Parts: sequence; C-alpha cells; structure tokens
Amino acid sequence: MIERKKECIAMLLAGGQGSRLYVLTEDTAKPAVPFGGKYRIIDFSLSNCVNSGIDTVGILTQYQPLELNDYIGNGQPWDLNRNFGGAHVLPPYTRAKHSDWYKGTASAIYQNITFVDRYNPKYVVLLSGDHIYKMDYHKMLEFHKEKGSECTIAVIDVSDAEATRMGIMSTDDNMAITDFEEKPKHPKSNHASMGVYVFTWEVLRQYLIADEEDPNSENDFGKNIIPAMLKDGRAMYAYPFQGYWKDVGTLDSLWQGNMDLLDPSDPLNIHDPNWKIYARNYASPSTRIDPAARVSNSLISEGCIIRGKVEHSVIYTGCIVEEGAAVTGAVIMPNTIVRKGADVNYAIIGERCVIEENATVGEKPPAGSDPFAHNGIAVVGHRKTIASGTVVKAKEII
Amino acid sequence: MNMTGIIFSEMYGEDLGVFTHDRNLAAIPFGGRYRLVDFVLSNMVNSGINNVGVLAKQHYHSLMDHLANNQEWDLNRKNGGLLLLPPFASEAVNHNNRGKLDELRNALNYLENASTPYVLLADAYVVYNMDYRPMLQAHIDSGADVTIAATRVEDSPAAAFPSVLQAGRSGRVTSYALNCTARSGDFAGMGCLIISRQLLTSAIREYTARGIYHLERDFIQHQFNRGQLSLNLYEFKGVCLRIRNVDEYFNSSLAIINEEVGGPLFRGDRPIYTRVTDEVPTYYGPECSVAACVIADGCSIEGEADNCVFSRGVRICKGAKVKNCVIMEGSVVGENVELENVIVDKWANITAGAELKGLPTNPVIIRKGATV
Repeated sequence: MIERKKECIAMLLAGGQGSRLYVLTEDTAKPAVPFGGKYRIIDFSLSNCVNSGIDTVGILTQYQPLELNDYIGNGQPWDLNRNFGGAHVLPPYTRAKHSDWYKGTASAIYQNITFVDRYNPKYVVLLSGDHIYKMDYHKMLEFHKEKGSECTIAVIDVSDAEATRMGIMSTDDNMAITDFEEKPKHPKSNHASMGVYVFTWEVLRQYLIADEEDPNSENDFGKNIIPAMLKDGRAMYAYPFQGYWKDVGTLDSLWQGNMDLLDPSDPLNIHDPNWKIYARNYASPSTRIDPAARVSNSLISEGCIIRGKVEHSVIYTGCIVEEGAAVTGAVIMPNTIVRKGADVNYAIIGERCVIEENATVGEKPPAGSDPFAHNGIAVVGHRKTIASGTVVKAKEII
Repeated sequence: MNMTGIIFSEMYGEDLGVFTHDRNLAAIPFGGRYRLVDFVLSNMVNSGINNVGVLAKQHYHSLMDHLANNQEWDLNRKNGGLLLLPPFASEAVNHNNRGKLDELRNALNYLENASTPYVLLADAYVVYNMDYRPMLQAHIDSGADVTIAATRVEDSPAAAFPSVLQAGRSGRVTSYALNCTARSGDFAGMGCLIISRQLLTSAIREYTARGIYHLERDFIQHQFNRGQLSLNLYEFKGVCLRIRNVDEYFNSSLAIINEEVGGPLFRGDRPIYTRVTDEVPTYYGPECSVAACVIADGCSIEGEADNCVFSRGVRICKGAKVKNCVIMEGSVVGENVELENVIVDKWANITAGAELKGLPTNPVIIRKGATV
C-alpha cells in the first residue's frame, strides 16, 4: 500500500515567552500578542504558509498556551482545517519512559518526529511565530531544491549595528554558507538570519537524534544544530529576502511595527489582495464614528465606537473611545475602553483595559515636531484599569 | 431547540428592483458588512435554532456565495445546519412568486423530515435583533395555532404594512388585515411567525393541491376569519427596520448610524454573523474628516464623509466630499468628487471631479459595477 504524503510541511515554534514584551506576555505567548488592528503576531507566519501552498503546520506551544490554543482552534480562519494535514497544536507531553518540556528549539522538533513522520515529507520549513513579514516560502523551497541544499536559511541584510544583535551568515558568491555567528561583536557580513529555515527532513532528522543524545547540547537550532551541520560540511545555503521584516519582540519595536502600518508607502504591502493575512474573526459590527469624533492618520479595526479624538494611532477590534478623550500615537489592543476626558499619548494599551475618566497615559512630545517622535512609550498590560485621574508616565510599564 | 427555521429570501423584492437586478432581496448589502439575510439568520442561531432552510427562487448566486461557508453562522453541523432550498427544476419555475405556500411546497420534504415540533417562518426584509425563545414559549403558553411577531405602531397615521393586527391584552388577535394602513395602537407584523410543523405541512399539502398559494391571505387570514385558526400576537419592543423599497433602504441604512438604532441592533451578547473576507482594518488618512459614519473594514478614507455607511473596501479619495450616502463593497469615490444622498452599489467607480446630488426622499442610485 502506498501511503499518502506531503512534499513539504511547516513547523512553527510558538512556545517562546517573549520576555522583552514584559506585561504583554505575562499570561500569553508572544505569537498570540495582538498586532496591526485585527491580527495576532502568529497570523503572519500562518498566512504565509497557506499563501505559499503549505497546508500542514505543526504549532509547537509551551509557554502560556491557553490563548494560543483557543485562537488556533481547528485552523479554519487560515483555511487550515484539512482532512489530511492542517493546523496541529503540539504541546509537550508525557511519555512511557521519561517526560520533558521542550528544552530548546531543537528538542521541540525532536519530540515531534513522530508527527512529522506521519506526513513523510521531503522538506520541512521551520518558522518562528515572532515576526511581521510577508514571504513566499515556496520560492525559498524552489531555491533549496535548485541548490541541492540540505539546509537553507533565509537572510535579510541589516546594518552593522543591528548585526551585532542577530545571527549572522557569511556566504560565498553562490550563497553557500561558510560561517555562522550568533550576535558577533565584529560582524563579517550583513546577512542576518530571519529564523526561517528549509531543511531536507531526512538530514535534519539525523541531526535531531544525534543532538538529543548529546548531554552537553542546549538543544537549540542556532547554537547546536546549525553549527553541527556546518562542521560536517553539509550543503547549506542562505536565501536572500528583500522586503519588510520586523521582529516585534520589544515594546519599542512592537509600537514601531504598528506605526509602520500608517506609512502611506505601505512597506509591508498589507493591502495586497493576493497575499491576505488571515485572522480569527469575532463577528464584530462595522465601526461607528460619532458626529463629535475627530479621526486622522489612523488604522481602526471593526466593532469600535469612536466619539473622541484619534490620531496617528492603531485601534484594534472592539475598542471604545468616549467623547472628550484624546488618543495620539497609541496602539490600543482589542476591547479596551478609553473613557471621557482620558488622554493617551505614545502608548501601548493591552486587551480589555479600561482607561478611566481623565486618566493620562504617556506624554505628549514637544509641539511642532515629527508626529512620531516621543519621549518613550508608556505601556499598560492586558485587563488593567487605570483609575480616574491617574497619570502613567512615558516609559512606565503597568 | 424544538424549532426549525425557514427564511424567505424574496417575496417583497419587487420594489427594490434596482438592487435585485442580479441578486435576491436577502443578499442586499446592509449595515456596512452585512447582507439582509444575516439578521434573521443570526437571530435564529442566537436563539439556539440549528436547522435552517433558506428558500430561494431567483438570482440566488449571491446568496449561495454569501452562505457557502455556513461555518460563520456555526451552522456547519452533522445534524441539521443550513440548507439552501431552491425550486426543483421540474416545478413551474417560470411562475414568479405565486405565494409563500408555493415556495414552501419545495421545502415539504425538508419540513417532513425535520424532527422539531415547531417551525419559525421569517422574511429576510426585516432587520432586528431578537431572541426567538421567549416567543416560542409565549406561543406554547397561548395554545394558539399561530403566533405572529409584531411591533406596536405609534403616531404613524399614514404608514402601511403587509400585515396589521389588533389584539387583546392576553395577546389573542382580534383583527388581522393585510396590506393596509395602521393606526396608532395597532400592531404591524414583522414577517415572522411560529406554527406547529404538523399544521404547516398539512396546510401546504392541502392548499397547493388546490392551486392556492398565498400563505397569509389564503391560509392564515381566511381560516382566522372563519374562526378556525387562533392567532396569538407576540410584541417585539426592540429596533425593527423594514426594508421594502428604496426609501426604506436608504433611511434604514442611515438610521443605524444613531446609537439608539445601531446600539440595540448590534449587541455584544447576540452578535450578527456574516461572511468573513479578511480585509485589513480601515485606514483614515491624515487629511480625512469623518463624522457620523458606520464604516466596515478594508476601507481607505482620505476625503470628507458625513452621515454615511461604507461597506468593505470602499475608497474615498482626497478632496472628495460624501454626505448622506450608502456606499457598497469595493466602490471607489475619486478625487474631488461630491456626493450627497447617493446609494452606490458594489464595485462602482465614481471618477474624479464628478458631482452627484439626490434628495433625501429620492436618492441617486449608481448600479453595481458602473463607472460614472
């Protein structure tokens, strides 16, 4: 009997805490953090998979998985409710002989070898659910096949300063990887790893097993698997990516990533109807803008009621901005209420918060300057209430 | 739930001909992101009804397209779910809307196989947010043959309704008139009634066999007048918008901008479901001016909008001024265009500099896909 199989499946690492997002990831995993008005960070990687023709995605969860499990559900919003394949949430589980948490990224995939083998794929795309970008993984897979590669790593060119904080690939003229350094002090190249890999499964499988047997290994792709393959002289190539790619793993970069959506040149090309970003939908009505409202240079999602002033801001699904409230340069996550007379400037407000009457969050920048210049972002975590008259200063995290 | 839902997707479409050229009434866009059918259908789902048949006779491609993914309404069920019921090809398809009994005859098999004792019949032209469970309880408690949902008519001397009722305090109907003017204190039917499945199926068989097809006139009114059918009235006190002609469509569309109308219609505890299209959030440009508007997702607003309803993906370009307008999905209002009292159907293109003004009582209508 010939069994069904997939040419390529994706494994999406969604177990990270994203500790640099502080209160925003206190009780939810980073990939589940809301982004861009109606999305969550993971929507970008998931939509890229589907738009690239990958219909089987294993989503590895570990840190605070409840919200993510709920959000992914049966995968229907991304068209990943498939009879053979589809979206599968893969948490760590107990076994007959011993049980482990996912010790590292490599161990997470190792523990799910059985899942991957079920689809008997020739290739596996490894992703992290932490970045905002649009990328055709199919083109990368074609590159992988053309080069006869066993491991292809997507790279984006960054500045020297940024390179010191990232995984940097040195390559020859044929894009073959000659060296890999994690956060080098003196980067030899500007090709930074995007955390997007294509592996030939048969090869990766061997390395995962060997890595798990090594007690000294940290079971991490960047620290162990990639260096081991490089040492053995495996066919490894860097796939150059051009376009918008943003790690929204810090409060500042999360704020900036949202503000980038207001750029009229649309660097992310989010409006492209041929590469839609899908998200779970909650049946919110159309947004109502009241007669007294003043709205400019903003992105406002569905189900909102706007009665106050909103400018240079991204307002997520189901928010209410009452009369006399002013919201400037802010990212306001789903179902938050900004009450009468409240003043929100240069801030990220989490989900289901209440900013009570006349409360102040964040600081206005000096008048006349660039609308996006600021003295630091104020952050309010999910489900918090900022009492009437309270002042939350710039850079404060509540 | 011991009730099956049946939705009539046509019947009163004749006066909305300009919108029903290539879609049926139930598929007319409304309220930004919805189509008319979404309201009764969501009411049914929110009331726990999970057997819903949608009767369609003509131009039902838009409706099929809209309802195709019945998952949005949570009606992708193994037992029950949503079923579109077009006529059998062998039936007299050429006859236009002879009556609801004629349409129901197409659903006779569906109704006979349903396992519920009650059937809810609802027209798609009425927009409201209602829990049908108390209505069913009232029907059972009353012991009447048919329970009709209706709103009380207040100081509206001239308004005519498809059905006008008078009832005693207990809800027992004392007068049932069709297509007439209601006086203050009368009740206007909402195109929504509950009847036992047994009574309905036997009426369908009996009447259609004799070539009689009008449900309200030939069956309900006729039997009621002869004292052989008892009617119970269930008063609905919420917001109810009837959309039978262009005027009502235009006024009702703009009415939802007001909190008093839009608020009760779109309640958090009983959401109105619709097809999901994964548009991006709406972008409001640096120079836009937006006041008193209801706006769906995927729009881009760079001009001025006052008292308007925009469906998904509408573009209002720089310098455009749009007032008292209903603009449907994907239409583009070009630079420096001025629109007042205009309804723009889907995918139309109003080119730069155009100026169109209708009257509040007689809006200008731009057809689907037209370029002006």
